[in-house]
Amino acid sequence: MFINWAKQEITLKIVYYGPGLSGKTTNLHFIYNKLDPSLRGNLVTLNTKEERTLFFDFLQLEFGKIKGKKPRFNLYTVPGQVFYAQSRKIILSGVDGIVFVADAQKDRMDDNLDTLLDLEENLITMGKTLETFPWVLQFNKIDLPNRINSSILQKNLNFLNVPQFESIATQGAGVFETLKSIINLVVTNIQGGV
Amino acid sequence: MNLEQGGNGQPIVLSGEMYKAISEVISELATKIRAKTIIFSDMNGHPITQRGTATDIDIPNLSALAAGDFSATAEIAKIIGEKEQFKFIFHEGEKFNAYLSNVGDNFLLILIFDSDAALGMIRIYTKRAIATLANVLENAKEKEEDSTSFVDVDFNKYLNQELDKAFSF
Repeated sequence: MFINWAKQEITLKIVYYGPGLSGKTTNLHFIYNKLDPSLRGNLVTLNTKEERTLFFDFLQLEFGKIKGKKPRFNLYTVPGQVFYAQSRKIILSGVDGIVFVADAQKDRMDDNLDTLLDLEENLITMGKTLETFPWVLQFNKIDLPNRINSSILQKNLNFLNVPQFESIATQGAGVFETLKSIINLVVTNIQGGV
Repeated sequence: MNLEQGGNGQPIVLSGEMYKAISEVISELATKIRAKTIIFSDMNGHPITQRGTATDIDIPNLSALAAGDFSATAEIAKIIGEKEQFKFIFHEGEKFNAYLSNVGDNFLLILIFDSDAALGMIRIYTKRAIATLANVLENAKEKEEDSTSFVDVDFNKYLNQELDKAFSF
C-alpha cells in the first residue's frame, strides 16, 4: 500500500497467485481487453519463449476519484512454475491482497495444494498468515469435463472460508466478480479490519 | 514513522510535506542532468513523483518493471554472496541509458537520459540527490496521518458504485 497525502492517492497491490497454467495471466488479459481503456493502463507481460510467465504480468487500474481520493489498483501475476519460487517472493513484496487462482481439473489438486503451501510460507516470511491476510479463491476452468466438484475444491482449499468464485477465465466468467471481491477486501482491510 | 517501514506489505504513507521536499530534489536533479525522465518510486514500483522532458513514457509500467529489475538484481547479489545489494544498475542503449539506484531500503530512483550525456556528471549529481533524499526521509517528523484515516467508512460504498459502473458490460 502506498498513500500520497499531497496528491490524495492510494495505490494498492493485488497479486494473482496459483499453480502454473491455472489462468492467472488469462484473468489479467480478460480484464485488460474488457475494461474501458480510460480505466486501465497497458498490460505488461514478461514471458518465456513458450508464452509462460517468466517474471510477472502487470496492469494498473484507476476508477476516478472516490470522495476526492484517487484509488489505484496494481494487479500482478506471479510465475506459477515451481522453478520460479524466488521470483514469487519478490512479487509478493508489498502485496495488499491475493487472488488464488486454483485449477479445477482433477489432476491439478496436488499442484493447487502445493502452491497454497508455498503462498503460506511466503506470507509467514512477511509476518502474515492466510488467516490474517485478505485473499479470495477462484476455481478456474470449471467448463472442462475433468473438473473437480466445487464442494471438494472448497473442502480442500477453502478451509478458511474466504470468498470463493467459480470461473472460466478464457470467457471472462467470474473474472470481474473475483476482482471486485478482492478490491473490497483490501479496502476494508485499510479501514482496520477484515 | 510509516516511511521507515515499507517493504513486506507494510504501508508507506507519504505526508504532503515529504512529498514537497522529495519533489524539489527530483526537480533540481532533472534540471541539472537534463534527464528524459526521472522517477522517484517506492521499492514496489509505485511512482511517487516524476520529472523530465519526456511526455511519451508509460510511467506506471516503467516503474513496475524497474522495481522488478532492481529486486531481481538484489536477489542475484544475495545468491553470489554480496553482503550489500548492488549499489546501482546501469543499462546502456543506443539512444538512451537507464540508471537505477536505491534510496535507503524503501525507495528507488529511476533515471532515463540521452546516451551521449556526460556519465560523470550524471553520477555525481545523482549521488548528491540520493544523499539529500536519504536525509529528507531520515529527518521526517512523526506524522499524524496514517493509512486507516485515509479512507472513511463510506469509501467502499462509493468505490463499489464505480466498480459496478466499470464492470457493467
